[in-house]
Amino acid sequence: MSRLKVIGRRAAVLTVVVAQLAFIVRGYFTDHKPFAFQMFPESSTWRADVVRVTSDGRRVPIEQPWAGYRWDELAPDRGLPRPSVRHHADAGLDNQLAFLRSALDWVADNTPRDRETRYLEARVTSWHNADRPRIRVFRSHVREVAW
Amino acid sequence: MSLAAIDELLGRPVSLRALALLRVFAGAVVLLHLRPFLSDASHGRIYSDAFYEPYAAWYPELPRDLYVALLWLGAAAAVAMALGLLTRLATSATFAIVAYNLFLSTTHFHNNRAYLVIVLGVLAVAPCGRELSVDAWLRRRRGKLALDPRAPAWPLWLLRLECAAIYAASGTSKLLDPDWFGGTVTWQRVVRARDELGVLPDWMVSLLTDRDFHTGAAKVIVLTELFIASGLWWRGTRYAAVWIAVVFHVTIEASASVQVFSVLGVAVLLVWAVPSTRDRVLRFDPADDLQRRLAASVRALDWLARFRVEPGPRLEVADRDGTLVREWPAVAFALSRLPLTAWFALPALLHPAVRRARRAVATDVVVVEGG
Repeated sequence: MSRLKVIGRRAAVLTVVVAQLAFIVRGYFTDHKPFAFQMFPESSTWRADVVRVTSDGRRVPIEQPWAGYRWDELAPDRGLPRPSVRHHADAGLDNQLAFLRSALDWVADNTPRDRETRYLEARVTSWHNADRPRIRVFRSHVREVAW
Repeated sequence: MSLAAIDELLGRPVSLRALALLRVFAGAVVLLHLRPFLSDASHGRIYSDAFYEPYAAWYPELPRDLYVALLWLGAAAAVAMALGLLTRLATSATFAIVAYNLFLSTTHFHNNRAYLVIVLGVLAVAPCGRELSVDAWLRRRRGKLALDPRAPAWPLWLLRLECAAIYAASGTSKLLDPDWFGGTVTWQRVVRARDELGVLPDWMVSLLTDRDFHTGAAKVIVLTELFIASGLWWRGTRYAAVWIAVVFHVTIEASASVQVFSVLGVAVLLVWAVPSTRDRVLRFDPADDLQRRLAASVRALDWLARFRVEPGPRLEVADRDGTLVREWPAVAFALSRLPLTAWFALPALLHPAVRRARRAVATDVVVVEGG
């Protein structure tokens, strides 16, 4: 048996074990928890009023289609299509709200026909397990609106 | 444990039959996994048409047509992997495509998909196409000698470690969370889903929505996960851990949407079978119609190749330690070692008659050998 093979086996197993342990520990400190295997972590729920804030100051709920776009088509997954309805944060509240924040930015960046929205804003009410509700406001970055 | 002992453990040639069988199941699981992506693609939608979030800006993204073609290639590779056709290539391609797709976006990530990538990664590095494969069949047909189905054990150990780590990580995260261990999480989840409990009898709904019930139930769930994670490692508790793990996965499948997690979780339990083959003997009386049928059933369902099935004077099973079990306890024992029937037959081994039969005959063997 070649020495190289023995060392290669050791290295492969050690690498996987160390990486797996690192991912598990990392999962306690990050919003997204790849390979941390924290399953059904919370009973937390959330809802959000998401609006488009236009360049003339109007606040338009995203439930209303705009410039040929629909929110539920732009963010159809990860519990995001109907944010105004209170529902379970499947993979935990931090994970769910991280998705919401990223979705606001993605929609702001990927709706080129929209020439009136300056930014999107979500007023989020969240209930971490049995805790009292917490209200937070998230905003997308400001878009460069063509005048 | 010394480094030399670890090297011996990782390098010891063992049967990879369990990984070969897992490869067949994993191919089907990959098809289930890819189905929603392929369905979307066939309707003209891919991940980048809606909100997605790359893990890293440098991660390569393919043009639409190429991405869709890659998904279909992944499905074809999964079929080839399951069949064992160009097994190494097919398994590696399946792993690469499923992993690439998973890491395209944080929105693609789910625990069951991560587990699938791990399983495929291990299968890709293990020579698991030497049995239960078209490759092996073609080799036989060409008159070539069959390849040694044994190989160094390290991929098997790696998958066992990962399998246990997943239950341990899940159980530990719940153990450390006072809301989980105290029952708040499960209680709230059930209460909010009360409308879906309508099919259950009133007393059960009342029980399931009772806060005090969850104070105990949550602890049972956490300890179950931790028991599975640890119990799989010891021979004395392994069968119990596997049996409970199956119940655990079936319960999860019935109560939550977990994509391919349940089927994958149950399939991976195969890797806990002792990695040796044909080291038990089932003897049957060919003149007895029932025994002949049992022998045929065992041959057909013995996917892990546990038994040599031979004609003999009466129905009996010789275990790998020489213990003999006869008559109906032998049937229960044989069925408890077959993947499809094990879950149903394992409890029968606890029956006093079976325990007595194993003990009594084992004593006989010792006496005979001693004489």
